[in-house]
Amino acid sequence: MSGQDRISASVAVKEGQAVCAACGHDLGPATKPWKDHAHRREIPLALAGGQAYDTGHEGVLLRHFYCPGCAALLDTETAMAGDPALDDILAARG
Amino acid sequence: MDPMTFSIIRHRLFRIVDEAVITLKHVSGSAITNEGHDLMVSLYRADGTLLMGGVGFLHHLTSAAEACKSIIRRFEGDIHEGDIFLLNDPYTAALHTSDIYLVSPIHHEGRLVAWSACFVHVYDIGAVNPGGFAPQAPDIYTEGFSSPGIRLVAGGEMRQDVLDTILNMVRSPEMVTLDLRSMIACNNVARDRMQSLMTKYGAKEVDGACAELVNQSEDLFRARLRELPDGQWQSRQYLDVNGDTARVNLTMTKKDDRLIFDFSGSDPQSPYSINCTKWASLGGLFAPLFPLLCYDITWNEGVLRPVEMIAPEGSIVNCTRPAPVSVATVGAIQSVNNAACSTIGKMLGASEKYRNQSTAVWHANHFAIFKFGRNQKGGDSIGILTETFAGAGGARSFADGVEIGGEIPNPISRMANVETVEAAFPVRYLFRRRAPDSGGPGEYRGGTGGELALVPHKAPDGGINYVISGKGSRHPMSEGLAGGYPGAPNSYVWVKAPEDGANTPVTAAGGLDAISGTQERVSWGVYPLMGRDALYVRWNGGGGHGDPIVRDPEAVRRDVAAGLVTLQSAGDIYGVALRDGAVDETETMAKRKSIRSARLQQEASE
Amino acid sequence: MAGTGETSYLVATDVGGTCTDTVIFGTDGVIHIGKALSTPPDFATGVLNSIVSAADPMGLTLEELLGRTHLFIHGSTVVDNAVLTRDGTPTGLLTTQGFEDTLHVTRGAYGRWSGLTEERIKNPVQTDRAPALAPRDAVVGIPERMDCDGAVVLPLDEAAVEQAVRFLVNEKQVGAIAVSFLWSFLNADHERRVRDIINRVAPGAYVTLSSDIAPNLGEYERTSTAVINAYAGQITNDYLTSLQGLLAEKGYDGATMVMQGYGGLLPAAEAADRAVGMIECGPAAGVIGAKFLGDLMGDPDVIAADMGGTTFKVGVIQDGKLEYAREPMVDRFHYLAPKIEVVSIGAGGGSIISVDPRTKVPHVGPRSAGARPGPICYGQGGEEPTLTDVMLLIGYMDPGQFLNGSITLDREKAERIFKEKIADPLGMTTQEAAIGIYRIASAQITDLIREITVERGLDPRDFVLHSFGGSCGMLAAAFGQELSVRRVVIPYTASVNCAFGLVSADVAHEYSVTQNLPATTSAAQINAIFAPMEERARAQLAAEGIEPDRMRMEWSVDLRYSRQVHEVTTEVAANTPLDDAGAARLVDDFEALYERKYGRGSAYREAGIEMTMFRLTARGLMPRPTLPAEEEGSADASAALIGNREIYVETKGGMAPGDIYDFNRLQPGNSLKGPAVIHTPITTIALPDRMTARMDRWRNIVVEFDAD
Repeated sequence: MSGQDRISASVAVKEGQAVCAACGHDLGPATKPWKDHAHRREIPLALAGGQAYDTGHEGVLLRHFYCPGCAALLDTETAMAGDPALDDILAARG
Repeated sequence: MDPMTFSIIRHRLFRIVDEAVITLKHVSGSAITNEGHDLMVSLYRADGTLLMGGVGFLHHLTSAAEACKSIIRRFEGDIHEGDIFLLNDPYTAALHTSDIYLVSPIHHEGRLVAWSACFVHVYDIGAVNPGGFAPQAPDIYTEGFSSPGIRLVAGGEMRQDVLDTILNMVRSPEMVTLDLRSMIACNNVARDRMQSLMTKYGAKEVDGACAELVNQSEDLFRARLRELPDGQWQSRQYLDVNGDTARVNLTMTKKDDRLIFDFSGSDPQSPYSINCTKWASLGGLFAPLFPLLCYDITWNEGVLRPVEMIAPEGSIVNCTRPAPVSVATVGAIQSVNNAACSTIGKMLGASEKYRNQSTAVWHANHFAIFKFGRNQKGGDSIGILTETFAGAGGARSFADGVEIGGEIPNPISRMANVETVEAAFPVRYLFRRRAPDSGGPGEYRGGTGGELALVPHKAPDGGINYVISGKGSRHPMSEGLAGGYPGAPNSYVWVKAPEDGANTPVTAAGGLDAISGTQERVSWGVYPLMGRDALYVRWNGGGGHGDPIVRDPEAVRRDVAAGLVTLQSAGDIYGVALRDGAVDETETMAKRKSIRSARLQQEASE
Repeated sequence: MAGTGETSYLVATDVGGTCTDTVIFGTDGVIHIGKALSTPPDFATGVLNSIVSAADPMGLTLEELLGRTHLFIHGSTVVDNAVLTRDGTPTGLLTTQGFEDTLHVTRGAYGRWSGLTEERIKNPVQTDRAPALAPRDAVVGIPERMDCDGAVVLPLDEAAVEQAVRFLVNEKQVGAIAVSFLWSFLNADHERRVRDIINRVAPGAYVTLSSDIAPNLGEYERTSTAVINAYAGQITNDYLTSLQGLLAEKGYDGATMVMQGYGGLLPAAEAADRAVGMIECGPAAGVIGAKFLGDLMGDPDVIAADMGGTTFKVGVIQDGKLEYAREPMVDRFHYLAPKIEVVSIGAGGGSIISVDPRTKVPHVGPRSAGARPGPICYGQGGEEPTLTDVMLLIGYMDPGQFLNGSITLDREKAERIFKEKIADPLGMTTQEAAIGIYRIASAQITDLIREITVERGLDPRDFVLHSFGGSCGMLAAAFGQELSVRRVVIPYTASVNCAFGLVSADVAHEYSVTQNLPATTSAAQINAIFAPMEERARAQLAAEGIEPDRMRMEWSVDLRYSRQVHEVTTEVAANTPLDDAGAARLVDDFEALYERKYGRGSAYREAGIEMTMFRLTARGLMPRPTLPAEEEGSADASAALIGNREIYVETKGGMAPGDIYDFNRLQPGNSLKGPAVIHTPITTIALPDRMTARMDRWRNIVVEFDAD
């Protein structure tokens, strides 16, 4: 099996651990949700960027997950308050 | 079997599908079939399994297989050469009532050897709203006629009583006749060509090649799955209608050479017609799977075998009768497309070998707007706003998404020219262009969506009306990847002219806010576009890929110069400072540094 | 020695992708042929070389020949090349404000998938648009607006135009400006006023108005056409001017006519202003050449197939008429201009053979070894087996007989690599595998031609197949038989068919008016639309020196059923101007044509019929050179029999002895039976078992299938 060297373009895997692809910061075992080890920020979508995001509705959130080491933005999610984070994990080898 | 003969038969099967598609488009002549490419033609084996899927609306490939199988079950022992069956019941196999399947057995020397099936979105199906999408339908009973299987042609002879009954239930029966005729001609071509293929090479040889073709696809797909990492990826879609929000949750698990799509946790079925049945969900997840994972593998039953779907009964992705489903193709099915595209994109992105095949979500939200009313020549005009076929591409791991570049489930489509629309409908565009900041920011930006504004023009009745099935204007649906932002959501605004008697606007270079009047958001139902009012539509951009603050500042400068990104977003999201149209490198570095430090000042999660 | 002092000449030179071909007709009835390599981007050198190569055997110097030449006809890839190599003039675009993205958005996905193979379309993640010829930052929106009747909704803001022109010229450094406004084809006033402003503010800029170059409905295609024309306009101008200068230096003082994509000729000065007209004029000339031969041989229905090293091109002539492309493209850009439909597929002698390592299924193409390095057997460094190598392995090519023996083919190397890369992975002998590949290639071409004819509602069984190009002769009889065409013709002029087409073309101007009218429109009203076009056309032809008795006015109208999208260009068969019976016949003809093309039951009459475009083709008939016909003599071809060797014979299921003939020794009337191979100076004709080949009066090889 090739490819167990990353979880995504922004999260790599090193010796079974998820790490920030930019700085190598440890994000826990690759077989567990790495987002638990990231900085998480929720912002109302309307304030997330350009005017096009403002749909005139409250309660629509954009979640950011940052690397605690280098502040790289590792992932985003559209969410409503209270919905769980989306977890992407690799299966244990063997 | 002899690899040469196999290669020849394989090539011919592709061409048979092509020729049948040409026939369908020729005979139909309708805009939605010819411009929107809202059609599908495929070949099936004697047992109804998919043999050769053509390039059309891909979520039909598996549903039409189920249509063949259910016809086989229903009519067992009573299927004859020259028969053609019609099926459009969503609870049997179809996606929604207006996408009619015509399914035709193919016999050779008296034996049933294969099937062909095709669909078009018919002009009308007799639902409560014209055009097929029925936002006002409370249940399946008000979504037009639906048949779980009826013999339309018996032994080559049209059953006139059946046809007359169907036509008696629809608006514009002449146009529906043409749609049906085109599908019959299409099936006839597929049948004739299959028969001559079998005459030349022998039915057994051809069937052997078909079996081989299916096995080959299975082997190839399994081999590809084994190359990809094992793991589990999640995505979620929010569909809002009239203030209600429904979730489609997906966990995709890949283990060895198998792929499981689990929609557990998705919300219960909706009172609105955005629901879809289980066959529709299955089709919905295969639509992106074929082009993303099997771009170089023949699309057939072999690709289906390694895939399993779990869809809880009574949920929005496996609704139960009599839930309404007429908006499914641009509702829950499209959300299944998006969710599957997102998890597949994540899985591909986790592979060194296939990273460049991964993509953020494309055009996640169709806006089905059917205009209807008397036009400037006094004739009736009905038609979809074809801009809905012109979605935006998702960003890829190596490049920006294609601006207004289409969609994954329907690889071939195009939108009409402004002049074509203005010639046929009593409307005038104020603008039609790419919408700034609509593409999801990222190291690679999602493709931008578009925006348009229409006003009545020379309308004998003062304007027209339209049916809008515009769900999803609250939540962005084109998810980003690896830190990329989602594309901006759709927006539908009714601009009501001021009372003071000002003229209908002639231009609005400044966009929506330059159109004078009060703005009211609309999204679901039937609305007028009358008098001096305007309708503004902005459609979603594609998802971005990667952290926006590592985007090449020069690319951001180009985007700003081209009007694709606003100056404000360039600074706020991308951390790029521009001065006199050039990148200010020192200030850009400072800006990006300060964005980073602001990020780290946030509380860690949990 | 040809050419006495009294003989004068017509010289026709066609610049193709690889070769520049010349055909010279003398007033003494003798035809001379020349060939030289094309020399992009300085095409004129290749043109002169090609003429010299034809003049040489005539015993004439270039100057002597040109001194006795009364007409020079020319076709060139200069425009295609400028677009393909992005070598045009930096171009800006002025368009209606609010619609600045029209060019770049390409009607949505259309521009992303157009021009791609089905294989590539199936992988959308790897697809993109081609960057537009006018960059987005050189597009400026102008406040102005017309409506669907051509009525002014918003007047032209002239100050904004002036400012935009200065911006484009000074800041964006453009040398060419395209102007394309909504509905300008109904009312060109705004566009024309913009041209005046550009001429005043930036007199050096090359200007194209969309209403001039493509006065048709559909702003995306119209805009794209104007931009292509502006982009390639200056280069085309410069090229034609310099070529004429060179010819004049060498003593030519006659007129130069330039081939257009619609198969007609224009005087060079007019052609220079319509660069888009020259796109793909070579293949168009090829179809014209095939039509000329078809007319000569009494065959009005011809499928013209041309297979060279890299591409397979198919044109269809039905009932002596040519079909125009509905959605023409150059590179990956759409444009609107009448162009003869020639379908081009990436398949040729250079197509690379491969075996899919995953499935062990053999493939022909789509990659090509092209001219360089070319097939293995050419010995120019090719290391991948191609279709041409397969032809050698199955005995259709003779290592010592290629191009008159000028190159000796390396059979040993071709066989070694083919065995290693193809036969061994398939677990077959080299010969079995080579035969299999030949069958695949033949079957795939059969499939493609069938699809092309189905698309037009035609049945290949009604057609004669003309085979052109270096690779086609080895396959034509085989796929022609599977298509059940009436017979296969390998024309004597096959090697220079495009140049031959140039001399069989007329001067032709195309005019059109877009207007939407019901089919019930009176004859008088239709006549009123055509009258000004005819007037313009007659004045134009007269200015070109065409006498009134050589002018032909051909009317046609695009019609459609009101609620359907297919438009069918229907020729006006009745006498013009029309009377009411003639107008009624036009509608009847449309209905018949529609059903034939789109199938029985495809018409929705109840919605009514409308006319959408009125087209005038104004011809100035050119004197047609006559092909010398010889007497047909004895059927006995034994004098041309030069050997016998093992060749692939389908009916024998493998290799079997076949007679080998030398084309140059065949005489009109000679007849021979397959299995056989005929070597010509430029190609090889493979004649399968149960077929008969005959040389006709014009030295064409005519292949008939034996009756069962």
